[in-house]
Amino acid sequence: MNLPLSADLLRHPEDRRRFLEKCAKFAFGLSVLPAFARLAEAAEQKSAVKATNAGLPGFGKAKHVIFLQLNGGMSHIDTFDPKAGPNKGPGDIVSAKGDMQLTSYLSETAKVSDKITVIRSMTAKVGVHASAAYLMRTGFEQRGSIQHPTLGAWAQHFLGSSHKTLPSSVAVNRSSNHGNGWFPAAYSPLPILNPEDGLLDTKSPVGEAVVGKRAALLAQLDAGFGGKAADENVKAYNEFYETTFQLMKSTDLKAFDLSAEPAATRARYGKSKFGQGCLLARRLVENGVRFVEVAHGGWDMHASLDDRMEDVGGDFDRVFATLIQDLAAKGLLDSTLVVVATEFGRTARLEGGGRGHHPLVFSTVLAGAGVRRGYVHGASDAKGYAPATEGVSPGSLHATIAHAAGLPVQTEIMTPAGRPMEIGNRAKPQLGVFS
Amino acid sequence: MTPFLRLALVVILTFGGLAQAAPKKTAKKAAEPVIKAAPVATRPVVAVADRAAIWHTWTDKEGRKVDAQFCGLSGEFITIQTRDGRTYHFKTDILVPEDVVFARQCLDRSRTNSFSREIIASAAADIDRLVDAVLKANQQARNAPATDEEFLRRIYLDAAGRIPTAKEADAFLASAAPDKRAKLIDDLVFSPGYSMQMFNWMADLLRVKDTFGKGIPAFTFEDWLKTRLAANTPWDKMVFEMVTADGRLCDNGATGFMLFDAEMPLDGVSNLMTTFLGTNMACAQCHDHPLADWTQKDFYQMAAFFGATDGKDEGVLREIQRVAKADSAVNKAAVRKIAEMNAFRLEDGKKQALTLPKDYKYKDGKPGDPVAPALIAWAKADKSLPAYNVSAKDPAALRDEFARWLTSPQNPRFATNIANRIWKKAFGLGVIEPINDIDDLSQASSPELLAHLTFIMKAAKFDLREVQRVIYNSQTYQGQASPTPDLGKAKYLFNGPIVRRLTAEQAWDSLVVTAVGTYADNVLLRRGDDMKVMALPAGKVTMAEVRNAIDRTKKAFAGSGKAAGGKKASGGSTLGLANGYEGDKPVTRFSLLLARASELPQPSAETHFLRLWGQGDRLLADSATNDGSVPQVLQMMNGSVGRLVSDTRAEAVMAAEAAKTPEAQVRSLYLSFLARRPTAAELTAATRSLGEGLAVTDLAWVLANTREFLFIR
Repeated sequence: MNLPLSADLLRHPEDRRRFLEKCAKFAFGLSVLPAFARLAEAAEQKSAVKATNAGLPGFGKAKHVIFLQLNGGMSHIDTFDPKAGPNKGPGDIVSAKGDMQLTSYLSETAKVSDKITVIRSMTAKVGVHASAAYLMRTGFEQRGSIQHPTLGAWAQHFLGSSHKTLPSSVAVNRSSNHGNGWFPAAYSPLPILNPEDGLLDTKSPVGEAVVGKRAALLAQLDAGFGGKAADENVKAYNEFYETTFQLMKSTDLKAFDLSAEPAATRARYGKSKFGQGCLLARRLVENGVRFVEVAHGGWDMHASLDDRMEDVGGDFDRVFATLIQDLAAKGLLDSTLVVVATEFGRTARLEGGGRGHHPLVFSTVLAGAGVRRGYVHGASDAKGYAPATEGVSPGSLHATIAHAAGLPVQTEIMTPAGRPMEIGNRAKPQLGVFS
Repeated sequence: MTPFLRLALVVILTFGGLAQAAPKKTAKKAAEPVIKAAPVATRPVVAVADRAAIWHTWTDKEGRKVDAQFCGLSGEFITIQTRDGRTYHFKTDILVPEDVVFARQCLDRSRTNSFSREIIASAAADIDRLVDAVLKANQQARNAPATDEEFLRRIYLDAAGRIPTAKEADAFLASAAPDKRAKLIDDLVFSPGYSMQMFNWMADLLRVKDTFGKGIPAFTFEDWLKTRLAANTPWDKMVFEMVTADGRLCDNGATGFMLFDAEMPLDGVSNLMTTFLGTNMACAQCHDHPLADWTQKDFYQMAAFFGATDGKDEGVLREIQRVAKADSAVNKAAVRKIAEMNAFRLEDGKKQALTLPKDYKYKDGKPGDPVAPALIAWAKADKSLPAYNVSAKDPAALRDEFARWLTSPQNPRFATNIANRIWKKAFGLGVIEPINDIDDLSQASSPELLAHLTFIMKAAKFDLREVQRVIYNSQTYQGQASPTPDLGKAKYLFNGPIVRRLTAEQAWDSLVVTAVGTYADNVLLRRGDDMKVMALPAGKVTMAEVRNAIDRTKKAFAGSGKAAGGKKASGGSTLGLANGYEGDKPVTRFSLLLARASELPQPSAETHFLRLWGQGDRLLADSATNDGSVPQVLQMMNGSVGRLVSDTRAEAVMAAEAAKTPEAQVRSLYLSFLARRPTAAELTAATRSLGEGLAVTDLAWVLANTREFLFIR
């Protein structure tokens, strides 16, 4: 897709209008499509997308989303959906706050479980890591002829940028893997591979005096080419350089700087990459970033499940509980939706000290914004093998998050290639999770 | 005789008629759990065999001899291919002097085989006449001619993939020869950079990726593409070879294109149709196309040509796992890798087994019905073309039959698709847009121009170098650039090329040339042979052989991962980088491996300059973008790339430092970064800044950060 010239956008006026509606002109990543931006502005004045789901419970309560993705496939039975009997895992079953049962690996989470909703009837068909991760991240099954966007990109499409200078979507501890899908590349989440490093290259390697002189000379020498008569795309880059110079001087970039957090807070989140990543997520959300993904690895527990639940599960447990408490204490939990997603569940039967891949039933968690607190949505059967209530697909989970974020669900948009698409692949939101 | 006809006639006289004989494939037996011999060893490479092959016994300075075919000479680098299908690239200076002379003669021969300057000029003039006529009919005119400076930078970026060095720029600008533009075009399309930029361009189209599926290395595909480009294999031959390729990926790189979609064969067909024909059938895969005429039945009938093709040898996979089960000491992950690698192959079975999908809902068939192969047509008359005369009798030959139709000059879209894409490459905009959906040719901004380009493509027998020579020699290409047109208002009728941001690869390769000069033109990455060590020999699978393959792999890829630098991010395998470079080794500065984009991981890691500036992830065709972002600017100003250009070791900086006066230093830097001389005002301002606290390195930084540097005008 070559944006300045995506004539495909211009072929069917109706599609074009729909695609460009709310296409934000100035994002952290600015899309170089001035010719289209003008059209977008015109389109925006005419009609705003009307969400048919607006006004239903929970709509638009989530101004921010923190999407935690547990890579490898979290065992539901050993975490949020404990089972007694022959399939019981090595952990004990404990009664947690909010009238639900968890395993003993989640002792910290048990203290905040009166603030969360657990969905125990998640179901899918994909049991291969990469494909399952793709499905959970986009709400669509992976295809070879199209790339689907993440919810952050959908939100930017419908709602515009979430901040004047900061990005609208950030991916922490993971690459962005073109999460923009068919939307402009500028909608792709900004990847932060190491939360401790934050955003790279924000400081010049030379002294301030030289930076100033360089900038002055740059403006002077480039006046001819980048001047008044410049091409629209050249002008776009002019604005970019301008924005970057401003950004370097502004305090906005502090959002990426973990060293600005009190030492006690940093310690509470723990030293792990996931812990610091979640702290960064909270900082970003606090500063106006809409959608933050944080990845956590190590959940593919085919063997030594007991030990690894202690390590990996324990790390998650402490960090997740801290994040919920911290958001609540800062008054951000009412406007922030925290999602715990994974790839799939794990087999009910313990074998060789671990469990295999099992997409038929698994658990996810929602917390904050307008979501019910201390609530279990749906159930798996007694063995933890299949959903006992109507299954919730990853697409439906996406529709639910989108609904909370105030996006129109079950509303068709047209991709630049002319394919009609809906958030969550036409699935319905789970309205029952909202209070 | 009109120049038109003259061109066609010369082409026919020089290269023979338009009818093409494609090689016949024989039917193969069904899968057995044994490894089959590499097909490339038994079947001569189509493309090279087709041209007048030059076989020669090459001798190096130590007296060693090898019998091999000449494939190409690119700068100081020669590419040859031995009879077993392996290709070798090395610097000519290891050869005895007679052979170096011989290699040059081979190259001259291929240059004389190309069109004469007169033919090129005449074909280019035809383009100009056609464009002028369309412009005139719309009360418009062609842009004024570009200056030498504008032309110089543009042609270097388009034909060689990078900006010129100060020395190269000076040589052209100082020349008074009346034919210096035509001469520069000819020099550049035969320079090493030509193959490199063509590789980048095709890699985006063909989805060239270091790893497929579950991390299977696909370096052989990259090597195959590089070899074909070095030999300037015509596009139709390349496509035919890719679509009909057999065997394991580790033996035959040409299988890479089809194997990319081995897990999703229906998507593969849809991708193939888009890539080679510009046909948008993706919707018809699941239901009748809502906007175009394609039905789901059409799609399945096309897909049926691939219904006998299998991409994974389950038999070998099971067999390797079975013998490995008995060996408790062996690393299971390593076995899995070897198994996957050896099972990854293309083969045609005896049965074409495609059926309509479970949810088929149209009246012309029932779910589960077998589907007979049939070709799509864009117009009724298409089906009476001889190219449509294909046989669906032998399932094992279906792919060949399809490929013959696909790559035939009579195919209603094949030549137009590639001609339109090549035009876009030079002008920034296709004659018909979007380039991946050209079903309705009447949508072209100028159907006459599109038809003429199609004609040139066929007349040149799909020789992309020749077609580009024609385009570059046109006055339309050599005109001043137009600003990006607003296509919502009016069609763009090609008053000139449009102002384009450099592609990620052009930007990177240009920065590299300012850092290390032309050195990087001779740094070549070839990792395919390393990958071949993972192949098990033909015959029965034994544990000893599996273990050997594991050991060989370990050795071949020893020290990998360290060379690339930077942090792990999506994309780009660092496997084999440590010893994958042939000839010169790349310089590393600020953790950046200073090789041309084509000689780096494919694609680069997500945080690399290349990806940040829009190199595609290669999961879909045409995934590259030229969108902007703040992180791009941050990296250019403050990051490793900003340091690279303003480093005292940078070639452009050293060239300027060597100049005697501040004015001369400024002039040198302007040539290095912008391929032009500074204006009087620029010279004054820049010179003054050198006296007021800024160094040559700072000025280099400033010029690299100008918009002018980022754009082709």
